[in-house]
Amino acid sequence: MPISVLLGIALGTARVYGNVIIRGIASAIVIAFRGFPVLVTLLLIFFGLSDFGIYVPPFWTAVIGFILCSGSYQSEYVRGAIRSIDIGQSLAARSIGMTKFQEVLYIILPQAVRRAFLGITNELIYLVQYSSLAFVVGVPEMFAVTKTFNSLYFRPVETFTTLAVVYLVMISVLVIFFRGIERRLAIPGIEITTK
Amino acid sequence: MNSNIPVLKVENLKKSYAGKIILDGVNLEVDKGETKVILGPSGVGKSTLLRCINMLTLPDSGKIWLEGVELTEPNTDINKMRQKIGFVFQDFNLFHHLTVLKNVTIGLTKVKKIPEEEAIKIAASALEKVHIPNTLWNKYPAQISGGEKQRVAIARALAMKPSIMLYDEPTSALDPQLVGEVLQVIKELSTAGMTSLIVTHELHFALEVANELLFIYNGKIVEQGPPEEVFANPKHDIVKKYIASIYSRKG
Repeated sequence: MPISVLLGIALGTARVYGNVIIRGIASAIVIAFRGFPVLVTLLLIFFGLSDFGIYVPPFWTAVIGFILCSGSYQSEYVRGAIRSIDIGQSLAARSIGMTKFQEVLYIILPQAVRRAFLGITNELIYLVQYSSLAFVVGVPEMFAVTKTFNSLYFRPVETFTTLAVVYLVMISVLVIFFRGIERRLAIPGIEITTK
Repeated sequence: MNSNIPVLKVENLKKSYAGKIILDGVNLEVDKGETKVILGPSGVGKSTLLRCINMLTLPDSGKIWLEGVELTEPNTDINKMRQKIGFVFQDFNLFHHLTVLKNVTIGLTKVKKIPEEEAIKIAASALEKVHIPNTLWNKYPAQISGGEKQRVAIARALAMKPSIMLYDEPTSALDPQLVGEVLQVIKELSTAGMTSLIVTHELHFALEVANELLFIYNGKIVEQGPPEEVFANPKHDIVKKYIASIYSRKG
């Protein structure tokens, strides 16, 4: 999850500040992995790469696929947030002699990531949900295991309700965790912290 | 350094936006310890001139020197030179996510690579000069008043130990009752020998603080001289009108 966020920040930043080449590469990644359904991405990594003699184990296929996909979505939240930062912040940073790189790293991103934070957490919750797709490349994740269990005992209501509750609990724990971070990131005087 | 070299020299500076001429050949010099005030109606290029001087806006043509180093020369490391030019913005532009103290130290630690501990000492001295008590050091910009924000912004620029301070209408965004405290600080710094170039509409202040007034109109300096002279005996009609309009507005 942290890697997908970092990828998102890197891609989003590259698309705003990168030169033509960097921007082009970042945009291509984002267009591709937001364009492909996750399922197709996973199948392409697993089967597509094996055509070139590269075998990616199922678990790593899922990890790489989810990072690329999630990171691409994340990048748009970050890009939007960067765009929303007042130009005065940038002028002030340059006026004390910061390079463009220092400006982005110390002034723009700390503010942009805060603005993008809620969107980012939303995307991370999706990421947990995507994990149920990992079964297509044979990862024994919760959904696949539950399905197998169900086909053995044929108790769909009970088994899938249990699965739903497990997901709900997992997500709830995440939400509480995110709330904690949100509070820590809040800038006194600007953002209203939830009591 | 040769003391005959002016701190700032601007020669034939031109800038236009979308075909509209904003600066039409501005020449000026500021010597060490001098304070010059730029006056002029709104929209005549005063802010553009200041931003061109530290190259936040790139001039179309003309030359700028800071202590003999040409800023407009493409090989000049402009980031390095900007450290020596303190810039105070109309709308403060404090870094929202940093405390008062960090706003002042960040340039020292990240740009000048000064160790944190020493940076805090320098910042403390700068904050003291602008009368920000240490009870405000850990506040964030959104928690302090406009006058305090602008004084912190001045401290942020001062901490970099600049050769010159540029003020771009430093009190225009302030409530009237907060203007005085900011002008007082600028005046104290100027009196203490800080070389300054100030854009303002505060005529009384200009009269008190300036060694020379520069009046800009249509992208050119149309009148310049000691403030008493310009006020008592303006040569151009536009200068007369401007002075009269400001006084009538203030009642």
